[in-house]
Amino acid sequence: MKVSLFITCMCDIFSPHVGKHTVELLERFGCEVDFPSQQTCCGQPAFNSGYLTESKVAMKQMMRAFKDAEYVVGPSGSCVGMIREYPKIFAHDPEWREEAEKLASKSYEITQFLVNVLGVKDVGSTFEGKVTYHPSCHMTRILGVKNEPITLLKHIKGIELKELPIKEDCCGFGGTFAVKNSVISSEMASEKSEHVSETEAEYLVGGDMACLMNIGGRMQREGKKVKTLHITEILNHRE
Amino acid sequence: MTKIYNRDAFLENIARHLGRKRQTKKVERPNWHVSPQHSVLRGLSQDELVDILEKQCQEIHTAFKRTNIENLPKTLHDVLSTYKTKSMVVANDSRLKRFGLIPLFNSLKDEINIHLWEEANGKKNQLIAEQADVGISFSEITLAESGTVTLFINKNHGRSISLMPKSYIALIPKSTLVPRLTQATERIHNQVKNGEQVPSCISFVTGPSNSADIEMNLIVGVHGPMHATYIVIEDA
Amino acid sequence: MTLKISDLSYEERVQEGIENDFMRQAVASAQGRFRSGRETRAEEIGNWEDWRALGEEIRRHTLNNLDYYLEQLSDEVSKRGGHVFFAEKAEDANAYIQDIVKKKKAKKVVKSKSMVTEEIGLNQALEEVGADVVESDLGEWILQLDDDPPSHIVTPALHKNKEQIRETFAKKRGYTKSEKPEELALFAREQLREEFLSCDIGITGCNFAVAESGAITFVTNEGNARMVTTIPDTQITVMGMERIVPTWEELDILVSLLTRAAVGQKITSYVTAITGTRLAGETDGPEEFHLVIVDNGRSKILGTEFQSTLHCIRCAACINVCPVYRHIGGHAYNSIYPGPIGAVLSPLLDGYESHQELPYASTLCGACTEVCPVKIPLHELLILHRKKMVEEEKMSPKLEQLAMKGYAKWASNAAAYKMGAALARPALKPWIRQETIKKGPGPLKEWTVNRDFPAPAKETFRAWFKKRNKEAPHHDEDL
Repeated sequence: MKVSLFITCMCDIFSPHVGKHTVELLERFGCEVDFPSQQTCCGQPAFNSGYLTESKVAMKQMMRAFKDAEYVVGPSGSCVGMIREYPKIFAHDPEWREEAEKLASKSYEITQFLVNVLGVKDVGSTFEGKVTYHPSCHMTRILGVKNEPITLLKHIKGIELKELPIKEDCCGFGGTFAVKNSVISSEMASEKSEHVSETEAEYLVGGDMACLMNIGGRMQREGKKVKTLHITEILNHRE
Repeated sequence: MTKIYNRDAFLENIARHLGRKRQTKKVERPNWHVSPQHSVLRGLSQDELVDILEKQCQEIHTAFKRTNIENLPKTLHDVLSTYKTKSMVVANDSRLKRFGLIPLFNSLKDEINIHLWEEANGKKNQLIAEQADVGISFSEITLAESGTVTLFINKNHGRSISLMPKSYIALIPKSTLVPRLTQATERIHNQVKNGEQVPSCISFVTGPSNSADIEMNLIVGVHGPMHATYIVIEDA
Repeated sequence: MTLKISDLSYEERVQEGIENDFMRQAVASAQGRFRSGRETRAEEIGNWEDWRALGEEIRRHTLNNLDYYLEQLSDEVSKRGGHVFFAEKAEDANAYIQDIVKKKKAKKVVKSKSMVTEEIGLNQALEEVGADVVESDLGEWILQLDDDPPSHIVTPALHKNKEQIRETFAKKRGYTKSEKPEELALFAREQLREEFLSCDIGITGCNFAVAESGAITFVTNEGNARMVTTIPDTQITVMGMERIVPTWEELDILVSLLTRAAVGQKITSYVTAITGTRLAGETDGPEEFHLVIVDNGRSKILGTEFQSTLHCIRCAACINVCPVYRHIGGHAYNSIYPGPIGAVLSPLLDGYESHQELPYASTLCGACTEVCPVKIPLHELLILHRKKMVEEEKMSPKLEQLAMKGYAKWASNAAAYKMGAALARPALKPWIRQETIKKGPGPLKEWTVNRDFPAPAKETFRAWFKKRNKEAPHHDEDL
């Protein structure tokens, strides 16, 4: 099966290791992974800020970049969620509507792809440690991926999963919200951080680097020892 | 003569914003795509509905009694004693007689000040209700799911009876039980459709009054009754 | 317009909210209770998603035919002896009601809880003509005694604790007992009973009007709405023009959604349907009834992309799940309609100028959209507001406009993107210590006040992938 990796600009720049784990995971299950080099950013920073015109040029670039892809898989519920919104955004654009629908229907977040397309529940990895999982808002509510990450994590050997209190609550990232409303944003991150502490987990795991950057940045500032991991880091973990 | 003010301009403006001419032809309700309300508690017997009502009464802080016509006077007397009733106001309902309550009221005359709601009393009815320990009336339609009695207000059944006294007792003929609000509103809708006059006030009452306005603590008994008892009567 | 409740700036209001420990604790615990109550009820009733879909379908149909249903409603109310006044503006509604008060020579007016009368500033209008106005909902009464605005649309005094309430009662009404909620409520019951019995006019809001029969319904728990529609001889009901259902059968659906979404109850203590004046021989209820139907900016929303905002049934479920509301409280929104629905509705009713921060007071987490019982896409409407402010109102900061223009160039050209991505680290280099930025420049400054920011990686993913592909296919290079 041929898979085109959608790295997301955040992972490309800040967390390339997440891309590496994603590639290795996909290859482990027999996928042939390529990286369309024309890809940039899904358009979300502009779209969510109200700059529709600016966001659309990014979206068009993405549609061009992945035109020939069979499957598009990325390590982010939020960015893949954005792509899944393209058909709505281009609904009245005869030139791009079809392309938007095509791209949306072949795009998957990595856990969603593993479970629902490849039919994998147990990736066969081992990870020793107490882990709590933060379900990101866009992954669960926009993309509708709720159980897939949990299914995969539950099958990891050695893992001790702890339920995060009020896990469905936003961490306070919210793109430009983190800067425009930094006071509220950091209060929200602090509350998340408290909830993580309550679980006594050693690792906070999530499917979106932006949330992890926010909660992790807060925990680090508080001097907490909890480590943040992208879910692919655990799924691809070997002894 | 009643008046309707500014209607045309107001509605024309709405139509303009909706991008069309004023809707003058009758609008038919569409067939809604889903109707989940009909499958709630569907196909249950009257007895099963009574069981659900009884269970719901715990959630709504309401005492529940089950009795038959023969034992109703004693059951009601017991409840009145629990509420240490000195005065009460009762909807003047023909069912009082059918359910054999007139002899009970006659026998209680010396202990309790009993007021049947009388049209002739006029506004005095409200003051009587305000002073009463207990108000009593019959439910027309009883909703098992939510534990709700439906009161059709009329000149013999004042709004005050279930509102002003400290305690309220609902007499619930078992035949009045239905699964939920759906069946009650359906019946009222059909009345409207058949051109029948709808009561000036229909009250769906569910237990005593309450509030959570102070620190989200549930306080039972605010402006309305502080206690409620439902008496379900076998009437088959 | 009296949507606004304060003259403080947005930043000041947010700060005030965040520093109010009691309020935050009260809101957090209330949200917890709402959350579990709503979830239990939604599970019990069976297919909740079908209920929501039906609720949305009913609301959409009703709004698309609003002129028809309002005409039917007013005809039916009129047939049952009620007067109907259509008020385009707040002032029109207030003037009409002032007129009734004057004609009736009314001294005391008792109100049950109503958001639309808050919105039009009715209390002040009534006081102007010399009426003594008493709010009778427990929460509203507490706020009235303290001259404090509501912070929530269902539990308006959520931000106050029982000690504060005891103090208010003592100072304003000579209360001498403890701060136990039961004792406080009993005192309010006694005090307000007097007010009900001595009032000349009762004023209510309206949860839903039923077009087919002219019934006005109230969904309440305390019983005060019943009091004000039972005792006084004159009743005035004020309703937002969108608060209407076609028939009793749709009333069932919307009441069932409302009580579950709002407070996690299967139904509230009282759902009361009043039709016109009292009938011959009845002693309870009004002999004179006025229905005031208020537009006040709502019609401008019809026929726009924001029309679904008018689906709102004022359940506050969106407020009860909103993490931003939890931290800043209702007053920070500076509108009687706070939380996500307030952030969407307030700018529509009152303009962007007065409420320009609200569309941004959200992380777009979508929790509001997920719980809305009538499926208003709240977070999408917030984005739409932002779009209007950016593209039509040109209200966004110049620097942001420039940045977004730059973004568009960067994200629409792979070569530019690649260069930008590679430059991120060198550009931030002066601020990087041990792969972390503790004190960032520019927009990062705000972030790093309370949080660390990671340094961009030494090598981008695409650079690594390119290298990897050049070498052996199963190469395990370290980043």
